[in-house]
Amino acid sequence: MDQIIQVAVLGIGLGGVFALMGSGLSLVFGVMRIVNLAHPSLIIGGAYIAYWGFKLYGIDPLIMLPVCAVILAVTGILFYKVFFERDAKSATYSEMTVLLTFAIAMIVEGALGAAFSNTQRVTSPVYATDAFFIGDVFIPKGQLYAGIVSIVIIGLLAAFLKYSRLGYAIRATTQNREAAALLGVNVNMVGLMSFAIGIGLAGAAGALTSFVFSFFPAKHWEWVAVLMSLVVMGGMGSILGTVIAAFSLSIVAAFVGTWIGSTWSTMTFFLALFLVLLFRPQGLFGEKPELV
Amino acid sequence: MSNFLTVKGVTAGYGDGPAILDDAHMTVQKGKVHCIIGPNGAGKSTLMKAIAGMLPLRKGEIEFKGENIAGQRPDQMLRRGIAFVPQERALFPKMTVRENLKMGGYILNNDKALTSRIDEIFDRFPILKERADQHAGTMSGGQQQTLAMARTLILRPEVVMFDEPSLGLAPKIVREMFGIVRMIADTGVTVLLVEQNAVMGLKNADWGVVLDLGRTLFEGPSAEVLADPRIQELYLGGRRAA
Repeated sequence: MDQIIQVAVLGIGLGGVFALMGSGLSLVFGVMRIVNLAHPSLIIGGAYIAYWGFKLYGIDPLIMLPVCAVILAVTGILFYKVFFERDAKSATYSEMTVLLTFAIAMIVEGALGAAFSNTQRVTSPVYATDAFFIGDVFIPKGQLYAGIVSIVIIGLLAAFLKYSRLGYAIRATTQNREAAALLGVNVNMVGLMSFAIGIGLAGAAGALTSFVFSFFPAKHWEWVAVLMSLVVMGGMGSILGTVIAAFSLSIVAAFVGTWIGSTWSTMTFFLALFLVLLFRPQGLFGEKPELV
Repeated sequence: MSNFLTVKGVTAGYGDGPAILDDAHMTVQKGKVHCIIGPNGAGKSTLMKAIAGMLPLRKGEIEFKGENIAGQRPDQMLRRGIAFVPQERALFPKMTVRENLKMGGYILNNDKALTSRIDEIFDRFPILKERADQHAGTMSGGQQQTLAMARTLILRPEVVMFDEPSLGLAPKIVREMFGIVRMIADTGVTVLLVEQNAVMGLKNADWGVVLDLGRTLFEGPSAEVLADPRIQELYLGGRRAA
């Protein structure tokens, strides 16, 4: 019994971080129809900022988190202006963004590799290697903190989307762009803000990642498929769906890793993706695709 | 003739495509219900989109209260008091009825005023109050159309334009929709409608505008338009293929 609780606890901790990683991706897809394959590489970028903040100045990664988020959000705005804005009216925009963001991912990886080499890094605040014990259940503090902070950030994001004026505009634009524009929403500005927020969330996730996982520039390839499967499973663009998929799959993956073998745990995400595409292609919370 | 809202020689189309509207005219009188009719592809919806500022005019003027407003953005039209409900899917399906109404007053940017205006809408449309916290996409077609029309009233517009409010609705519900249109007009708001069913549209309107191939054939009091032999010709054949 203790082992089951143990594994579930570890799964929940990781689920929070994956949920945070995925929610930014989902937001950007929902509002902008950008399939952002560069999202995980930007998470790694955020992780490096937190890493150097700790290494050089001894700043705790949890304190670096807002700094990472802001730096990445600004980067997001620049990327959008330089790479995305021109083609936003193209009929094949979503398809083009796949190629475009793939290229950006490689450029980010290359730049990080050139700057910081391909050494494995991990930020090591004291709590990263410490743990609580409840009975025999072992709770690593690093994962616990990362999980809690992720859940808090996602909660804030949800409240922001639900209650703020910009949140209303973002939801409206996601659901019906033309109608939102007709009601006076500046949909281009809303798109830019959502992109900035989405990439800012990648920065925040990066700060947490920096002490939960060891990372190096090419690490993002491991995550891109996992995150994409979370977003597809949740129903493209549904943040709630992405979060639920992240938690449930992380917990399942933790059990698979413990009982069957850790090499199989990533498989969980792809198997789930496969099943979802087979039986519920619109995802858990997605709209049924329309027959045109 | 009235100088409230006048469409003068408007030519417009989508992107670099052919002109859908080619020298369209229309006279709009304050507080009346106007119905735009014409066969498929006549440019009825395009005319509304042109007035709403959704596509640029290649030629012509739209005069509203003595001012040429052609070329303004949809949100600028909205601020001037001209609201538009496009055909189908004008709502945010995963937002509640109340949230949809709040979006209707997005440009007000004043929560207090918005709340009291939403309460006014709830008083006029009790069905919406009943469904206030339900997702718009889960309501019936008639309820959704009611919400779309009611939502324009949040901004207390002078002109509202509804593109085929009867689309896909059962006859009994269509009568209800025309009842709502009349109720809106009775409060002094000017209404423009596009209607596929010419007879039904004209019977529920004060003024008729007949479009064909992007051009205004003629306009006049709806009873006269309805009795005009050219209508028979337009709808019952005799026209060369375009």
